[in-house]
Amino acid sequence: MINKKNRNPSVIAKSVAMKKPECFLAEQPPQKIEMAPARLHQLTRRDVLLFGAGAVAALAGGGFLLPQDTLSRLSVHRNMDSPGKEWFLNKALRIDGDVAEALYSKNRRVPTYTKSQITPLKTNYNGATPDPGYISGWNLTLDGLASGLSISIDIRNLTSQFSLHEQITRLVCVEGWSAIAWWAGLRFDNLIRAYPPVSQARWARVESSVNLDDSGNPDLYFMSLDLATARHPQTLLATHFNGQPLTVDHGAPLRLLVPVKLGLKNVKAITKITYSAEEPRDYWAERGYSRYDGI
Amino acid sequence: MSHSTSAYNEQNSTSTSPEQLGVLVAKKHHLLVRWSHWLNVPILLGLILSGISIYWASPIYQHKPDPITGNFDVAADIGIWICENVPGLHHYSRPPDWIYNHISLGPGMLASALRLHWLCAYLFMLNGMVYVAGLDLGGGWRSLLPRRTDGFEALKMFRYYIGFPFAKLIRRKWLHPRFNTKYNALQRAAYFSVPVAGCLSVATGWAIHKPMQLPWLAAIFGGYNAARVWHFWLMWIYILFVVPHVILVFADGWDTLRSMIVGWSTRAEPPEVIAHDQ
Repeated sequence: MINKKNRNPSVIAKSVAMKKPECFLAEQPPQKIEMAPARLHQLTRRDVLLFGAGAVAALAGGGFLLPQDTLSRLSVHRNMDSPGKEWFLNKALRIDGDVAEALYSKNRRVPTYTKSQITPLKTNYNGATPDPGYISGWNLTLDGLASGLSISIDIRNLTSQFSLHEQITRLVCVEGWSAIAWWAGLRFDNLIRAYPPVSQARWARVESSVNLDDSGNPDLYFMSLDLATARHPQTLLATHFNGQPLTVDHGAPLRLLVPVKLGLKNVKAITKITYSAEEPRDYWAERGYSRYDGI
Repeated sequence: MSHSTSAYNEQNSTSTSPEQLGVLVAKKHHLLVRWSHWLNVPILLGLILSGISIYWASPIYQHKPDPITGNFDVAADIGIWICENVPGLHHYSRPPDWIYNHISLGPGMLASALRLHWLCAYLFMLNGMVYVAGLDLGGGWRSLLPRRTDGFEALKMFRYYIGFPFAKLIRRKWLHPRFNTKYNALQRAAYFSVPVAGCLSVATGWAIHKPMQLPWLAAIFGGYNAARVWHFWLMWIYILFVVPHVILVFADGWDTLRSMIVGWSTRAEPPEVIAHDQ
């Protein structure tokens, strides 16, 4: 108990100051102040009210940001979707994309693995694998070339024109699973060198016209890829999986393998590549996912 | 738990001179520590709810698909078990989704969950920096450092907590162990571990977010898949911490809860007499 004469603030301050900490890491006694009860009451009221306002703001912010489906589950049936919400959440995605872009180094190779580390690869076609009929008449169409022409190349032409490179890399799905798989294919960079895009091109749109949706109806799959990533030495236009030509499950006869991006950028059964100066549309970005997807 | 200050305050209020009418208060938490402490509530809630929605897309814990239902997710099994065994839930429409419907944003909403998770993750990192700044400016970090005597003191606290309900039952006095530090050893262990867990959550988060640019980070945690497991179990540290944390704050009383809102405590006896808990 403090006796009465010690209650003078200067004496208290002194008693605290006298206790020098033994070392830098040692806990120091708390700073003490004497305050009029009315003032104390006033400060308490102010801070508790501020705290309450903060709690209400946090609740409102949560209601603003939560997906509509979640809100309906919480029995909020009013439509809370707004352009502001979309803008805000997309801004967060953009910041993440910018941070990732800053982390990205063109010269950095992704880890490669040995054959003993290979793991099973899901196909993720979700039961709607395309009918293999398309393979016999398959052509890769190139558009947006410096020559101004639209070029079609068949698979035999592609594999004889370019040397094949093998790599065992990890494919990471946006869902969280990943697989170490053994691929072989031509370097995207070599295709770009052989058929140069228009000089101002910064992007490639890679698409597959044979893709099907979950109910088996044709569903064009298109994806944006920046040319710097396309030119990465480990970005392949893969023709082989596990030493065998690609099966329909894995995107025969030619699929994109871009290990620095999420699996959803690794378009299967590519039918067309279009180069452009402007960023092209992206199938999954239009469905609420990031458009950058760099890992 | 000592409340000797109340006697002291009463003594004060009988004092006559308005200048002398003082209440002695001890500074406890820096403004930035208090702000970041409370901001953690919505941020961690957002991270956990969106995190479990992300988990839904590819559960870490899977088994061979059930021949009848095709289910492979352990979390779905738990949901089915809950609906079978908890009274009143027998007619729940989608038992496999019970967990995801109750402790996540919901099943089948990966895109929204990812956007919220990134948003909350960046806020969590910023908030962590605010917390560290507050600990530095207020000097509060010193109170969190582990001590050599912590093992022994922690045992004393365990003994106190275990004996407390029995002592109450037989109406015996059960004295709180006395310490002349801001926190007791158990509190220190908890308040020191949670920021460490925060750092590990951020590190494992980056490891699974950018496995190709930061492969060394995933390697520290044993590879990409192991980092996902780490990230999942680190979430449980917050949940396991929050439950006793909230119970003990309410058990300890208004002064302790208020100190995290206003920053000071009226339990300002000299350290020799301090013997509180929160």
